[in-house]
Amino acid sequence: MTLPSERRLPWLFLILLLAVVVLGAWQWRDGAPLSANLMELVPGTHPDAVEQRAEQRMQDPLNREMLVLVGHTDRQQAVAMAQTLGEQWQASGLFEKVQWNLQADLPALRTQLLQGRLAMLSADDRQLLIEHPDAFIQQRVQALFDPFTGFSLVPSQDDWLGLTGRIQNSQPQHGAVQLDIGSGALIADADGKSWVLLRARTTGNAFDMSLPLQVATLLQHSREQAAKSDVQLLAASGLLYAANGQQQATREMTWVGGGATVGILLLLLLAFRRWRVLLAFIPVLVGMLFGAVACVALFGHMHVMTLVLGSSLIGVAVDYPLHYLSKSWSLKPWRSWPALRLTVSGLTLSLITSAIGYLALAWTPFPALTQIAVFSAAGLLGAYLSAVCLLPALLSGVELRPAQWPLRLAERMVNLRETLLEHVRTPILFALLIAFCAGGLVQLQSKNDIRQWVGAPQHLTDEAQAIARITGYQPTSQFFLVRAENQEQLLERQAALSERLEQLVNLDKLQGFLALNQLVSPPSQQQQVREALNKLPQFWQPLLEVGVPLAALQTELTQLQSLPAEDIDAALVGPLGEPYRTLWLGPTQGGVAAMVSLQGLNNPALLRVQALDLPGVELVDRLGDLNRVFAETQISAAELKLASCVLIVLVLILPFGLGGALRIVSLPLLAALCSLASLGWLGQPLTLFSLFGLLLVTAISVDYAILMREQVGGAAVSLLGTLLAALTTWLSFGLLAVSSTPAVSNFGLSVSLGLAFSFMLAPWAGRHAHAATVAEPAA
Amino acid sequence: MNVFVKSLGVLALLTLSSLANAFDLQQLSDQLAKPDVIHGQFIQEKHLRALPQPLISKGSFVLAKNHGLLWLLKTPLQQDYRISAKGIARRDVNGWQLLPGKSAGAEQNRLFLAVLQGDSSGLQRDFELALSGDAQQWHLTLTPRSVLLKQVFNQINITGGTLVNTIELLETQGDSTVLRMQDSTADQPLSDAEQHDFAE
Repeated sequence: MTLPSERRLPWLFLILLLAVVVLGAWQWRDGAPLSANLMELVPGTHPDAVEQRAEQRMQDPLNREMLVLVGHTDRQQAVAMAQTLGEQWQASGLFEKVQWNLQADLPALRTQLLQGRLAMLSADDRQLLIEHPDAFIQQRVQALFDPFTGFSLVPSQDDWLGLTGRIQNSQPQHGAVQLDIGSGALIADADGKSWVLLRARTTGNAFDMSLPLQVATLLQHSREQAAKSDVQLLAASGLLYAANGQQQATREMTWVGGGATVGILLLLLLAFRRWRVLLAFIPVLVGMLFGAVACVALFGHMHVMTLVLGSSLIGVAVDYPLHYLSKSWSLKPWRSWPALRLTVSGLTLSLITSAIGYLALAWTPFPALTQIAVFSAAGLLGAYLSAVCLLPALLSGVELRPAQWPLRLAERMVNLRETLLEHVRTPILFALLIAFCAGGLVQLQSKNDIRQWVGAPQHLTDEAQAIARITGYQPTSQFFLVRAENQEQLLERQAALSERLEQLVNLDKLQGFLALNQLVSPPSQQQQVREALNKLPQFWQPLLEVGVPLAALQTELTQLQSLPAEDIDAALVGPLGEPYRTLWLGPTQGGVAAMVSLQGLNNPALLRVQALDLPGVELVDRLGDLNRVFAETQISAAELKLASCVLIVLVLILPFGLGGALRIVSLPLLAALCSLASLGWLGQPLTLFSLFGLLLVTAISVDYAILMREQVGGAAVSLLGTLLAALTTWLSFGLLAVSSTPAVSNFGLSVSLGLAFSFMLAPWAGRHAHAATVAEPAA
Repeated sequence: MNVFVKSLGVLALLTLSSLANAFDLQQLSDQLAKPDVIHGQFIQEKHLRALPQPLISKGSFVLAKNHGLLWLLKTPLQQDYRISAKGIARRDVNGWQLLPGKSAGAEQNRLFLAVLQGDSSGLQRDFELALSGDAQQWHLTLTPRSVLLKQVFNQINITGGTLVNTIELLETQGDSTVLRMQDSTADQPLSDAEQHDFAE
């Protein structure tokens, strides 16, 4: 028997489905709206605009640049290969700029050096000029005759005092990399090989979907090509991590999604022995569609991690059809619409409680989890609607005659439990369970690190480390942000910080740093240089003796005196300003700001101390901050969990009364506690993700408790329904545990454990008096 | 970017070069490769556009095949330099002081010694080599190929007979440096003091 409303429902649903499909198609019109940006997934730790801008500046090169070392025992072969690859890459269209050699603009360099003779003089040289002008002159005389001090870019006659040469030599050296004068290549020597530096900047960034893979493929081709000539390539780039992350996500999605699908379909076939029962998979597909569309509609795109975690929705979505399909063991004959009518209230409750559980994730400060929550909640709604509106119509002609062995198995399990309870009473079991929990919880260790989010493969980190070792470049995400009212104050504050950092460098606690005050000195110090130069005529006799004309020296002095004070903007224009440009943030609301970038893996605590009592100076350590946020979020996650439980209790009071609702909710909570204890016993760390997983388990497994308490068709049938639901859910979440991203695998493990315990504890949900059970009329 | 060291590198390259010509580079390099040790005097003239008189310095040098170069400046001030596999060193009251690797000349010095040791490809790629004259009186012109070098100087001219007589560097800025090697002789072995200087 089919009610009239049940005839209209499928059509209404199909109209909705069509609308969603159209919306989805429109969303995908320009290709997949997917994102792989890890930073989008983690919480923003600060609202400060300047700091955010600074951070973006520092991140940009990591996400857009690729650093490659081309190594061969023979320097020329290495250079030749770097040139070949450089040209190929440039032609590939993937890169905005590929650089294997330095095309220095010498005239511009000369102009800048001459203009900056007062402003760019290093602190040491300034001190020498001011305190020991005689030594300053003596050194200059020596340099004029010294064929080995190195070539000065500015001819002597334009700079008799040799200030430009000093500026040139005081520029911070870039690690172990040297300029090869013939080819202009930047080369480092290590491990018996010459390594030519090849730098490429991509047109897009690491979070474009296709670019990282294209870059990784190109690099792979280049590696093979180079290997033929015995040339070795080492590469480091955020792009490569992104490519790897994408490949891994695709692989895992295939495994998790495919594995869960195959497993669930097989389970359906084995249990119900009808091909058409495979239609029960429709709610899963509809659920994925709804989830994806909702996600893109709300966030503009979907993160690949959402997809990976979201693929576990398969197992939850299939529970809805399973609810009424499993009624075929008690309803004889089984007809789709009547079976649905029997279970629809349970389904609705289940949807509400699961949605509450998922949406609780949305209140965590993690955008990643917000996305997953939205994806899952929308997906569940889609699955529910298709299970309630469409599927019964598709199954209307089917008479289910399920296999009897699952029921016998369930009966045996029920009997086993009864027997067990006869020997050991519930309170004793409970006490044992509490002992198990206490024992496990004691061993539980908490661990939170952003690195759990990235399954960084060993070969990529190895290469990055090799590059850091060979070149001495080891960029780090930590940096100092310096703010001041004006440029003069800014440079002074940076100088104060530099002085402290210099000490760390001398103590080998820091590899190096780059600050604007290394390029240009504050106006007051430029004035000091000017004054010191005024006194120089008393000391320049030795220069006159070797033949430098007095008039030439006097002219130069006049020129120097008339050089205007140079500010940061002017200093950054010239070629020497290039490495410093990213550091300058320019005018901000309260004045000006600039960064001091650091090299090497550094101790954040030690760095933080450097900023103490230096006004306007702060250390920005995004990873450190994130890890701290992780730890703090653990507490709020626990609170959320409790809040979601309270909400679920409120929802359940209506059908089950307060006592029943409390009992139903306390079981998943106890299951969560047991999972925590198991993590402890297994020696697995408690991470934020295990907690989130358990948060989810509460929501899903409330369902099992409800199913057991309702006991439609007897204890064995209910247990079987629960078993099937738990198995399908476990199939999808359990497979997450094999993920190579620690965060995802941790999530999968804790959900798996939680599900297992939920299933075991579900029979204690008690028995609900079915006063209003509708006797099923024959169809 | 030390052009001077660079040109010395070229000289050394010639001892290894295998290009063919009438009086060809091969012959020139064979000729220059013979002596193990060369002792001589030098006069360095720095012609600066702004000065009516060149800056002149004088001294002596020792070029030893397997060791490197000693450059002993005598006037107008006294200063000893050494180029060896270890790098460029300058002598002060405490003995030889290796100049830090970051000095701009270090890379050229490395190149120079690489050439001494038989790695000639670098210079051949960086310069066009043109040789004229005969074994008793030859003239070699080096024109830089690379963009970077072209911005630094126009040409290097080297003349010689049995040994090198002059090296002239013409810089793009209009300045030039002339090195005159005088009384060069390949007859004396390294003295104990010189050996000590190379060894230290």
